Amino acid sequence: MMSLKVQNNQLFHIDEISFHNKNTFHENVFEALSKDFRMIGLFPIDAKIPHRIIALLADLHTSFIHIVGGEFPKEQLEFESFANDYPHTNYFECELAENNGFAILDHPWLRPVRKQNVINGDEKYNFYKLEGDEVHEVAVGPIHAGIIEPGHFRFQCHGELVYHLEINLGYQHRGVEKEMLNAKPAQRIILSESIAGDTVIGHTYAHCSAIESLANISTSLRAQVIRSIAEEIERVAMHLSGLGGVANDIGLAIVSASYGRLRTLMINSLAALCGSRSGRGLFVYGGVRYDFNEETIKKIIANLEVVKKDVTEINNFLFSSTGALTRFDGTGKVKKDVAKQVGMVGIAARACGIEIDARINTPYGAYRYFPVSLITLPTGDVFARARLRALEIDESLHFIFEQIKNLPEGKLCEHTLSGKVESVITEPNSGVISIVEGWRGEVIHASFTDANGKIVQYKIKDPSFNNWYGLSLALREIAISDFPLCNKSFDLSYAGHDL
Amino acid sequence: MELTTFVRGIISLLVVLGFAPLFAGLVNKLKAIFTGRLGAPVLQPYSDLKRLFRKETINANSSSFISVISPTINLVAVVIAAAMLPIGFERPLISFEGDIILFAYILGLARFFQILAAMDIGSSFEGMGASREAAFAVFAEPIFFFTLGSIAFISGLTSIYEIYHSIRLDNVTYIVFIIVCSISVFILAVTECSRMPVDDPKTHLELTMIHEVMILDNSGVDLFLYQYSSHIKLFIYAILETSFFYPFGIRSYTVAIVIFVVVITALSISLAIVETITSRFKMKSIPHYLLFATAIGILNLLIYTFTV
Repeated sequence: MMSLKVQNNQLFHIDEISFHNKNTFHENVFEALSKDFRMIGLFPIDAKIPHRIIALLADLHTSFIHIVGGEFPKEQLEFESFANDYPHTNYFECELAENNGFAILDHPWLRPVRKQNVINGDEKYNFYKLEGDEVHEVAVGPIHAGIIEPGHFRFQCHGELVYHLEINLGYQHRGVEKEMLNAKPAQRIILSESIAGDTVIGHTYAHCSAIESLANISTSLRAQVIRSIAEEIERVAMHLSGLGGVANDIGLAIVSASYGRLRTLMINSLAALCGSRSGRGLFVYGGVRYDFNEETIKKIIANLEVVKKDVTEINNFLFSSTGALTRFDGTGKVKKDVAKQVGMVGIAARACGIEIDARINTPYGAYRYFPVSLITLPTGDVFARARLRALEIDESLHFIFEQIKNLPEGKLCEHTLSGKVESVITEPNSGVISIVEGWRGEVIHASFTDANGKIVQYKIKDPSFNNWYGLSLALREIAISDFPLCNKSFDLSYAGHDL
Repeated sequence: MELTTFVRGIISLLVVLGFAPLFAGLVNKLKAIFTGRLGAPVLQPYSDLKRLFRKETINANSSSFISVISPTINLVAVVIAAAMLPIGFERPLISFEGDIILFAYILGLARFFQILAAMDIGSSFEGMGASREAAFAVFAEPIFFFTLGSIAFISGLTSIYEIYHSIRLDNVTYIVFIIVCSISVFILAVTECSRMPVDDPKTHLELTMIHEVMILDNSGVDLFLYQYSSHIKLFIYAILETSFFYPFGIRSYTVAIVIFVVVITALSISLAIVETITSRFKMKSIPHYLLFATAIGILNLLIYTFTV
């Protein structure tokens, strides 16, 4: 197999990638996929040169990412689809077709990813439709009854039973990737903080790692640990919020309110560190902007101790409540092999028994020295996804306690603070792939520069991109009234998918 | 009918119509307190109704005259049912032989028009809500007839007022009877008024709603009529429950008012507790719950038979 092998955050030269013609490209990618590698990206290496593309294939077992290049004749942007054999590639192919006008031959299900009238032109996209006298279609959204993000859901039902759900997104498309290319260096961090409001730390971490690798900036261990603590605080906060949401969807008001109360403590801890409850403004290229002092450490530890004590009690109440368990057990089941085939990631995948966690598979930052445990559950239902979150809260709290009490010495920021951000000079003709395990799953930022060191391609992949289809599959053959519960147990981002 | 009875009947009806939103507000306030929140003011439902009443009504293009008339029919039907309720020891405004049937089916009429109007709009949400409402109504009806109807059957009386007055169990079994009756009427109230654990009145999730989804496309005065009638309906069931607690021998206003206030408060507390600590049932297991309530109703019948 002809490919370039790189690791997470490893700087590589673009010339190291060999660009193959259509057939060799197909053969190489196919070979990689047949070795159980997982596609994590498929896009042009320069946003302005659509005919030179690369496929990123991650090997879970060796922490290597394989890069296969392909160069196509300008007027014939096409290749055979991989999706018939490896279904998880299909959405990446759709994205490539939509963004860069590729014709994916023999694609099983070419559908819009974000822009409604690109792939099919002005022709209306036909949703998969069940026909018969007793079946009916329920269309939900894009405007919902609650204050949630927009997304369109089509259910094909027989009575209360769902046979098929199709999810159509793109209403939140803001052109983040394009903005990244045009943005001034000082604006990029702010942009990455706004990719998905619930994964501020995750996306910003991935962005900073990517740019730091490109600019050869190193970070001190102290800064890395502070970043990891922030990431774990975000994880605990969002897991609490997700558990609260799940409890709210089954009407368990007291549990929902209690999780909400604890979540406030977590995000307040983040605010104690950096002044923003969602962690905005914490990251700078080269490190972090704010340091722990004795007062903040005391405050955060006090908060965490309350959370640790109370969350055990609430978890015990929730997971021993018969009412909750009858709602959770067996609802929205995704089998492990199916989850693997469609390329699910993050908590949704771990709840199906797949051992995938970027903190362990492709360690980065402080996780290289202070590893966390991988937690998986086998059943793949709402129960597993909720329970997994409860377990991950414990693990993350443990990590935070450990690290915050033993902060290593070191400079806060090795290179520059925001005032001098223009001095961050990215290497010419280089690329980097940065993977971070956000609370929802792997967040991938890939960045490439041209001969002048200007960033010419910036690709972002939120875990939601992989998992929305998993939600569709979870809905098969269950009652439509259980959809909100399933949806909340996956807790996917619209903004992260739509970019 | 004497004039004074008539006036007293009117006063009873006004009590129901006036205090209905307060009861809903009280339940919501208590629920908020139990979950550690401050909550909206107890009088919030009144403000909500006032706000809705001032708003413009917009009907879906696809809807017919059914959508226009049904909110009014719904409210009128519920008010008529309210006029048949015995509050304290007073004879209600409408009371005659066999009014128990009218009571049950005038509420049925209200529901029927609400379901029709929901389907009239032509949205799949409302259709789904209508089908759920109709399905669960089938299971809820026996509860009413096994609880109140059983007493009617045995005592041979068929007016709600007289049925309640016929309950004269002077020994310990009266307490047992009241407890069992309270449970079945409580479950009935929860089902008919779409409260937890059958339906979640606070949810924003269209796909899980039963009652709320049927009025999703209503606005302004129409929504006001629906909301108000659902407040009254909840209060009607609360009063049905309360009436079991009057010792009907005593004709004292003080005692009656004290019992009324105490039982209504106790009821709102228990509703709030149930809504706080229970989770909603799976849609398909709601019928089991309702059949359970029917079984309790049958137990009622047995207790009453053997103790009268």
